[in-house]
Amino acid sequence: MSAYIIPLFILVVIVVGFFRRVPVYGSFVTGVKGSLDLLLSIMPYFTVILIAVELFTASGLGAKLERLLEPAFTALGIPSELTQLVIIRPLSGNGSIAMLQTLMNEYGADSYIVRCGSVIVGASETTFYVATIYFSTVKEKKLRYAIPVCLAASLVGAVAACALCRIM
Amino acid sequence: MVAAGLVYMTITAPQQAFTVMLDGAGNAVELALSLFAVYAVWLSVLEIMDKTGISKAVNRLFSPLWRRIFRGEDEKSLEYISLNFSANLLGMGSAATPMGIKAMESMSRGREKASDNMILFLVFNATSIQLIPATVIGMRAASGSADAADIILPSLLATLISTLTGVLLAKLCAKICAKINGRGGKKLPLERS
Repeated sequence: MSAYIIPLFILVVIVVGFFRRVPVYGSFVTGVKGSLDLLLSIMPYFTVILIAVELFTASGLGAKLERLLEPAFTALGIPSELTQLVIIRPLSGNGSIAMLQTLMNEYGADSYIVRCGSVIVGASETTFYVATIYFSTVKEKKLRYAIPVCLAASLVGAVAACALCRIM
Repeated sequence: MVAAGLVYMTITAPQQAFTVMLDGAGNAVELALSLFAVYAVWLSVLEIMDKTGISKAVNRLFSPLWRRIFRGEDEKSLEYISLNFSANLLGMGSAATPMGIKAMESMSRGREKASDNMILFLVFNATSIQLIPATVIGMRAASGSADAADIILPSLLATLISTLTGVLLAKLCAKICAKINGRGGKKLPLERS
């Protein structure tokens, strides 16, 4: 079902465009031009973020943070197998998907661990990436309380995920 | 973060530090290519939606809600916000991003700091509001799950909880900031000009 949503939606937009006599081809060219500009303005920011994330995990700082946070996470009801996933989730989308796949191979797709992990990944976003991209075309770089609030909300979501998977 | 990682890396594995940084930049190039493809399609569709008035129609549907949450934003910003949310809900995350960036641009009006509304909008997007986590369900199905879709309900609830927490925290922080600055929330609408 969901496979039809996107193509049908675009088709409807284009058909309406023809009926309203909108220059569809011209609009596409303008759109592509706009996307080049957009990409140029956001690329420097996510490049720096991706370098930082790579350094963070490869240097072992990530593992250090993991050991530091594990007792707190366990107290909140997050299984220790998932500590790393919860930490990586706001930093890297591809990283957390890869980690979830590893967990699936290890514990099986229907285990409590993997169901929790799936809900954590499915119900959250790559916070740092979203913040970088959304604020990259905007002049201000002072995010004030934005990042702490997002991270706290994601953590509450992860705790809720683990609790919900116990009863559902 | 770059500095902290680099310092630690220089201590633990100096010979790999440079390669790791190149890896990160390489990831960015890959991401840029896939983002260009995604934006090229969606910004074009958005262009047609703007010209046909479909954007306005979507906005009419949702704007009463968004007007209440994002107080003091103009019609154009609300329009992009509506489109961003609709795309998110339908699971078209790739379409949501370019529309979200447009919404941010439209809300910022060249100010120096992120406004409370902009942060609130980021919180919505950073806590994820999609109805069906298609990628994860696909992964579980491929790994031989008996009922790959049984995470839909807990995911939906977890998302709701995290988004609600985020919105409440953001509103709370906005209030505290306003108090610290000693002007109270009432002055916010005046800041628009």
